[in-house]
Amino acid sequence: MDLLLDVFVKNGFLMDAIGVLGLGLLGLAAVRLSQRYRSWGGSLLVSGSLLLLLGRLLVLLSPHFVTPELKMAMGGTVSEILSIAPMALLTFGLAGVVWGLWGHEQWLRAER
Amino acid sequence: MTFAPPHVPLLASVEAFRPVFMIVMGAFLLLTVWRMTRGTSGWAARCLMGGALLLALGYSVLLPLYQAGVLLPISLVGRIPGDPSVALGWHIVKVVSMNGGWLLFGLGLALHAGIFETEKSPAPVEAPNPSVIHGPVA
Repeated sequence: MDLLLDVFVKNGFLMDAIGVLGLGLLGLAAVRLSQRYRSWGGSLLVSGSLLLLLGRLLVLLSPHFVTPELKMAMGGTVSEILSIAPMALLTFGLAGVVWGLWGHEQWLRAER
Repeated sequence: MTFAPPHVPLLASVEAFRPVFMIVMGAFLLLTVWRMTRGTSGWAARCLMGGALLLALGYSVLLPLYQAGVLLPISLVGRIPGDPSVALGWHIVKVVSMNGGWLLFGLGLALHAGIFETEKSPAPVEAPNPSVIHGPVA
């Protein structure tokens, strides 16, 4: 129980790193698909995975560097945008990944 | 969590629409991956399918439940009455399914796209020219 608590709650660095690594792999594979095989779904997949990666990194990193002083310095509008941005990025990234995957599947079907 | 005022229709607010969007996206992801890998075999198909299953579980079941307040986030355990071990268990399920799902899915797509395969360069490999004599490295 203590080990579980350690790995998953106190320092979830391992699991977060696994997720970010997977998103990076997804982006690399999508770049390869769109560049070499000229699959149009690949480009959408690239944009979706980039948005997802950006949103995930924002979620993971913002507790470490967004302090109340920084919020005061940035002003209300910017900090509001910063607080909304990860949700929007994750939403649009998910949509991009799913749409791109659908496009790639259509492309595979047309190739066969 | 902010609640929409009562005169706004439920589906018209972003807060209410986001879980629906995630449920639809998770199911559609699973369906698309199933159509892609149908009739194929190998590790790429297995990884893609496993990742899509985990992601569909995470996106269409767990995250809407968290947003609806059925499952308690781990950060609220001390403040709201509830069993902490249940919250811990669901937290572990969520973390594993989301992060492991993306890892498996990315790995499957990487295998599918062949980014781990080295391939022969189309340019012929030339032997180094023996007439060029390199001077001693100063």
